[in-house]
Amino acid sequence: MSLIDLSRWQFALTVCFHMTFPAITVGMSVFLCVIYAMYWRTQKPVYLQMFRFWRRIFAVGFALGVVAGAVITFQMGLNWGVFGAKTGPIIGPIIGMEVVTAFFVEAGFIGIMLYGDGRVRHITMFAATVMVTIGTILSSTWILAANSWMQTPEGYAVKNGQYVPTDWAAAIFTPAFAWRYPHMIVAVLISASIFIAGISAYYLIKNRSRGFARRSLSIALGVAALLLPVQLLIGDGLAGNVDVPYQPSKLEALEGNWQNGNTGWVIFAIPDQAEARNIVQISVPWLGSAIAKDPTGKTATPGLDNTPVNDRPDMAATFWGFRAMFFASLFMFATVFLSVVLRLRGRLWESRRFHKYVLWTTPIGIIAILGGWVTSEAGRQPWVVFGLLRTSAAVSKLAPDAVVFSVIGFSLIYLVLLVAYIAYIVHTVKIGPERDDPRVNPDLAPGLEIDTEPATAFANAEEVAR
Amino acid sequence: MTTIWFLVVLFCLVMYVVFDGYDLGIGTGTLFERDASRKRHMIELVATGWDGNETWLILMGVSLWGGFPLAFGVILPHLYLPLIITLFALIVRGGSIELISQTRNPPAILTWAFGIASLVAAFAQGFALGELTSAAHVVDGAYTGSDGGFPWYPIVLGITVALAYTALGYGYLKLKSEGQLLDTAARRGGIVALFTVIFGALSLVSIAWTDAPLNLGTPGRAVAFWALIAFAITGGAVAAVNFRRRTENHPTADLLPFAGLVVTAVTTLLAFTVAHYPVLVPPSLTVTSAAGPYNTLVFLLVGIGLNIPLIIFYHWFAHRTFGGKFRGPVTHESRTSVLTGASNER
Repeated sequence: MSLIDLSRWQFALTVCFHMTFPAITVGMSVFLCVIYAMYWRTQKPVYLQMFRFWRRIFAVGFALGVVAGAVITFQMGLNWGVFGAKTGPIIGPIIGMEVVTAFFVEAGFIGIMLYGDGRVRHITMFAATVMVTIGTILSSTWILAANSWMQTPEGYAVKNGQYVPTDWAAAIFTPAFAWRYPHMIVAVLISASIFIAGISAYYLIKNRSRGFARRSLSIALGVAALLLPVQLLIGDGLAGNVDVPYQPSKLEALEGNWQNGNTGWVIFAIPDQAEARNIVQISVPWLGSAIAKDPTGKTATPGLDNTPVNDRPDMAATFWGFRAMFFASLFMFATVFLSVVLRLRGRLWESRRFHKYVLWTTPIGIIAILGGWVTSEAGRQPWVVFGLLRTSAAVSKLAPDAVVFSVIGFSLIYLVLLVAYIAYIVHTVKIGPERDDPRVNPDLAPGLEIDTEPATAFANAEEVAR
Repeated sequence: MTTIWFLVVLFCLVMYVVFDGYDLGIGTGTLFERDASRKRHMIELVATGWDGNETWLILMGVSLWGGFPLAFGVILPHLYLPLIITLFALIVRGGSIELISQTRNPPAILTWAFGIASLVAAFAQGFALGELTSAAHVVDGAYTGSDGGFPWYPIVLGITVALAYTALGYGYLKLKSEGQLLDTAARRGGIVALFTVIFGALSLVSIAWTDAPLNLGTPGRAVAFWALIAFAITGGAVAAVNFRRRTENHPTADLLPFAGLVVTAVTTLLAFTVAHYPVLVPPSLTVTSAAGPYNTLVFLLVGIGLNIPLIIFYHWFAHRTFGGKFRGPVTHESRTSVLTGASNER
């Protein structure tokens, strides 16, 4: 494996690991805001129970996401020093904005959100939760802005080999950003909803805490049912308004055709990049044309042969990344379709088979998001900044041994952390939300005295709310 | 404007060294603490602040990236291994501290992982700083390798920084603890502070044999440098003396070790900056040659620079919320039960 492959694998590994956490926590923070607002308004204990339980899952995921995310900033310079030097004038400040508007806001308010309830006023709790949520969303915003500039760079000039900003608004609000940003925000909301629904279904199957589980399942599936059709439109708009005009090579690779002329839609392919053909291919007739909005079945999907050999992305990665996202979305469509049918028939909380299906598809939203990012990033290749800077020219000239060492180190550490996180979720779910019921356990932490003077001032000023 | 931004980067470095320095130092201290409850107490003290403290490192990284992209693209590959090891250690540390906080009786491997990762991170950071004194080859703004040779200077600096962080950690511990823990901090802190001064002096003298000897050519530089070093020595001496003192006789005895060491850390960093400015990496990468374009620096100063007072406020607020003496067993029990609800469950 060459130096560039090693650095690319390392980056892929670290970003995929990192993305697993925001895929749950960004959407979940929004959910927590809504739940807390409902508790605040209605004073129903079940909402406080829901807030406390889901916050447990959120808290550890959030911490791991932060730790794993910090690494990525440094990798831009460590493994991709040339990229860092050339794009720094544009990407550096954008990521810097993320640090000051998101990371520090989150770090400042997460303490109150996690440890504050029962000892600060409702409004303070709600405000802290909202601030953390704003932090997570701003973080996604800046990251999407930076990555979208790499997809469709605008607002720059080339000076001394560097990309220099000439128009900040154009550099931040690129054509790709306009579509990819809503796509991502809706995606994290859906994946968190599906995740919450899966765990809630577990309690319905086990017949535990039904009041808690019914409300969680109902809200989560309601949100997913509203957003999935929206996501279909945004995804289609992304392909039509960004990929077609700006990144045709990505579209060609993700559709899995080499030659032009296939009016069908490829559902399975094993591409051979060197020979520029598919070793095995299964294509559904007419569907490709239909997706291109031509129901007569005459519009063919363009093939990767249109792109010069040196500028082609790896078809296998792009195609399967997209298919993972697409097939995962079919599962989610099934979930929301069934949920609407069952809801109308009044059986949403009774159908065991449906609950089992929802439980088994708990992580499907995360898989869809990872698949989407693989499509987006693998499909941009061989460019790191599309059309401007090749990935092979952006890599740091490091000793290969050092990169091998770092790849192995990251793999081992991340494997351990992932296992620990999953074990933690399973453990927390098995203990269940019963302990979070304020009727059973009115104050989660009696006698918390972290400090002397400021905390007493804190506790006195804010009346203790039940 | 370049200079202003350089000061911002330097400010982030100083904030990072002081704040994460103390919490890495406490982490290192846990390795030498046999008593389980005191060990737990030390870890909980770190748990309240580590993530905010580490954010300064990230801010320093992106400030360097945006403001001095060439330096970012050269320095990071140049320091590849120590920085990767720092990152590994910080991940292990963050993961283990969260898991320790979630469980009532954490397995010993977690607390060991936390302690060792703290020590490794401290040493690797010093090592990385030491590597900055070795020459980097740069062709067309891209890093192409460095001079080999045994990294003796980075090792010396790694030890110095590990000692300095540990001293800071004990200083902070003395400020925040009571009873036996305070006695341990006072006893060990004094010894570590003494070793820090010895190794600090050794690093100062031996830098002359690296690729980046001190540049004290003009009188202004020399005066500033030696004045700062004098401050550093004074800070260290105040700390060393006050570690042993008790608050009964000296009301400021709990504050001065930490305060003195902070002065030492800040002035030492400034002294080395004065002696090298504007060179970032020898032989020729300078602040001006690495600076980003005008538009970028304007954006950085407005977007990030203006946010820094706000960040300092958050940071102050977070530390203030957990201000005062940190109570032993009560606190760790209650903090744990906040996280796990353990008190009513098991």
